[in-house]
Amino acid sequence: MADFDRESMLEMFSYEMNQLVDQLEQIIIDSESGFSMDIINEVFRIMHTIKGSAAMMLFDTIVTATHAAEDLFFYLREENPTNVNYSELTDYVLECMDFLKEEFVKVGEGVPVDGDPQAVADHINGFLMRLKDSESGGSASSATPPSSGASAANEASSAGSTASADRPFASRQYRAKLHFQEGAEMENVRAFTVVNNLKSYVSGIVSEPSDLTDEATIDIIRTEGFTMSFSTDSEYGEVYDLLNRSVYVRDIFLEEYTKESIQMEGLNGFEIFLRFDEGAQMENVRAYTVVNTLKPYADYLLHHPSDLLDENAAEVVQREGVYIDLVTSKDYDEIYDQLMQTIYLKEFTMTDKFGNDSGGSSALAEEVPVSMTPETVVTPVNTNANVDVAPNAPIPAPADGAEVAADGGSAKRSTGQAVISVNVSRLDQLLKLMGELVIVETMVTQNPDLQGLSLENFNREVRQLKKIIKDVQEAVMAMRLVSLSGTFFKMNRIVRDMCKALNKEAVLEIIGENTEVDKNIIEHIGDPIMHIVRNSLDHGLESPEARRAAGKPEKGRVILEARNAGSEVWIIIEDDGAGLNRDKILAKARNNGLLTRPESDYTDKEIFQFIFMPGFSTNEVVTTYSGRGVGMDVVNKSLEFVGGSVVVDSVPGEGSVFTMKIPLTLAIIEGMIISVAGTKYTVPILNIRDSFRPSPDDLFRDPDGNEMITVRGDHYNVVRLHEFFGLEDAGRDITEGIMMIIENGDDAICLFVDDLIGEQQVVVKSLPKFIKKIRGISGCTLLGNGEISLILDVAGFFDK
Amino acid sequence: MTNVIENDLAMDRNVTSDTTNLYLAFVVDDEQYGVEVSNIKEIIGVEPITIVPQTENFLKGIINLRGDIIPVIDVRSRFRKQEIPYDTETCIVVVLHEDYILGLIVDRIIGVYNLNFNMITAPPNAKLSYANQFVKNIGRKEEGVLLLLDLEKILFV
Repeated sequence: MADFDRESMLEMFSYEMNQLVDQLEQIIIDSESGFSMDIINEVFRIMHTIKGSAAMMLFDTIVTATHAAEDLFFYLREENPTNVNYSELTDYVLECMDFLKEEFVKVGEGVPVDGDPQAVADHINGFLMRLKDSESGGSASSATPPSSGASAANEASSAGSTASADRPFASRQYRAKLHFQEGAEMENVRAFTVVNNLKSYVSGIVSEPSDLTDEATIDIIRTEGFTMSFSTDSEYGEVYDLLNRSVYVRDIFLEEYTKESIQMEGLNGFEIFLRFDEGAQMENVRAYTVVNTLKPYADYLLHHPSDLLDENAAEVVQREGVYIDLVTSKDYDEIYDQLMQTIYLKEFTMTDKFGNDSGGSSALAEEVPVSMTPETVVTPVNTNANVDVAPNAPIPAPADGAEVAADGGSAKRSTGQAVISVNVSRLDQLLKLMGELVIVETMVTQNPDLQGLSLENFNREVRQLKKIIKDVQEAVMAMRLVSLSGTFFKMNRIVRDMCKALNKEAVLEIIGENTEVDKNIIEHIGDPIMHIVRNSLDHGLESPEARRAAGKPEKGRVILEARNAGSEVWIIIEDDGAGLNRDKILAKARNNGLLTRPESDYTDKEIFQFIFMPGFSTNEVVTTYSGRGVGMDVVNKSLEFVGGSVVVDSVPGEGSVFTMKIPLTLAIIEGMIISVAGTKYTVPILNIRDSFRPSPDDLFRDPDGNEMITVRGDHYNVVRLHEFFGLEDAGRDITEGIMMIIENGDDAICLFVDDLIGEQQVVVKSLPKFIKKIRGISGCTLLGNGEISLILDVAGFFDK
Repeated sequence: MTNVIENDLAMDRNVTSDTTNLYLAFVVDDEQYGVEVSNIKEIIGVEPITIVPQTENFLKGIINLRGDIIPVIDVRSRFRKQEIPYDTETCIVVVLHEDYILGLIVDRIIGVYNLNFNMITAPPNAKLSYANQFVKNIGRKEEGVLLLLDLEKILFV
């Protein structure tokens, strides 16, 4: 059961993630020239959503990659930097998307999601660093320096005051961990510089290792990094910026401790104040010892005075005491016990900073530990509450992600929320059941038992039933149709990537992307479209220089168009490049032994068709994108699979046009049911221009014996369907049958059939794959009574 | 101890599943043929068959099996034997092979036999006629033999 849940969650996850990635890719490519604030927000939200969902599903690699991207867009959003190299940015984000896509594929296939996100993350982080560097040069002044109020408060803090409001620390606590780049050298000095730079912005800073003048710390910093705790009034972004300006920093981990973050991580924050007995001597060293005992437990530790080893510190500590801010995983009692071991303690307060008990700060002397009782009782309760929250912590995060997802979709809310995803197999099932329903309906309403009965009421209800069933049928069929837009828009990415790689310029124009085809077909035409687009860019379009020389605009144009053409969808890919080289193709075909007739016999179109043969590439150089002669072969194979075809036309110097003709298999068509030799066939209504009873006088034959007919002054070839299909028992007498004028594009013929039966909406089904493609038949359909009718492929009658 | 028992059980299971198989036996032109039951989807009577033009002669056409379109071949015709009119005993055996579904028109069904694998032998090597290439193995039963069909060949040869 658990497995099942995980399974369905994974399915959902993969579906949603792929949608998001597609959406994101589109956004990114659209805005390569510049990201508006809306776009940045959108990207940030999507990245955040992906990260959240991936974290929920425990896909760490995805989290790492998206986290980096999220950081980047967070920065863009918060800082709105001016001199961003958007092209480079796009590259990195797309790299990240590619990584994500690969990982999602793994999720979909159920194999371990084990890609290495480090390269992606490094690239993005590197870009972010460079961006920040360049920004800090230009707009350092614009980043508001943290107010000096904090340091003022620092000085103003009066001795003996124990109220937390008067503590010498600023409002926000941060812990930062820095690693320096390899080969930075003198890491201790660099760290010292970082601390020094921060000093003017922060109130109190403690570093670990603490003595940065000691060269022995170099190795530690080099290997383990260098940690600082400090408090400031500045916001996270500002602090991050400040740190980021430091040179040679490789990565920065900056964490702000807020009530929420501390509770989330199951930590406690304490405010501690210590004062030593007069005459204790060496107060600074005593304080140092206290701090050192706390260090092993501390996630965050800040003390004032910050330099306890300074010789003047003794006096300050003696006079003003020591303030310590601590964030630790230990609870109140443990820390309290630890501190109570300190000798010569005169005054000691300890408050749970983020606890609910605001009155927790009670001053007490060491000899009255009893007075601690109320607090020791109260605090553990808080601690427990925190602990309770901790295991639940992962839940709010994804929930937040989900919320963001909803926000992210707000721009498209009107459509987004009106759509649900359904497994295709369920649609298949529904379609099947629908077919059975129609058959049973006929069996019931035309039941032999009803013969001869007068059933006025019954028949009325039957008509109603039939109408409803027909409506349901149409709805079911319409459900399976998917718009081509997704497939088309993916090509934007390919055009962009290839233009970059090939140093060409091209714009992709998309027309008719809302044309709908059956879901099953969409899956098989993505690849062919991609290969043809690639081909157009690589072989078709010339370099900007060559284009200029040829008097064409430097920017090439590729048009991707879809349109309904009768029972087919045509996908047309047109470019204004150099066109196909007829002679080169012919020569190659000759070398490959593909010619079966005299060369002069081949038309241009037939020659161009050779490029779809396996292993056929006239490109001398194999590039990343083409030249291996694989792509165009795939086009043919995939199209054959769905019963489609491709033709190419080209004018040298002006460009090429690839036309993919794809049947609307499994779609609904309006059909005319006809009968020939006792079998029923369906002709798509869109192909029928006219039908009539022919008169023998209009028929004549040409010298080759081809039968022709004159209709209202026009002449048409006659195709007798039973002859075409080699059927027997059909009506031979021309006057007993029906002549239909069938058109395909601009051509038309007359088709002679036995009888017209009626018009009906039919679901196109493909023939079983055991049966090879038959010229003149595109598929079959089930009639209302369960009978099978073959659907005529009108184009098959033309290209003899 | 438990391990030993489990091993024994496992071996038992292997023995049964490996060595005997159920075969559906049917008659085509006086010969008895068999197809492994796991390949059989169902058996139906002869329904009206829609002719598909320009296909091989043995492909009688397609039928609608509850919404699935299934090609039907006449086994007699496939084996180049004399075709006879279909009668009440004629059946369409719907078989599955990989992801192909195919209807086989046979004269009549005899029954199901459990054949131990040592009762199954390869046919003689000599390919003396066209039709015997469709026979993968020969199974012996109490009276007579079952010619076990090679669906792969029937589909693709």
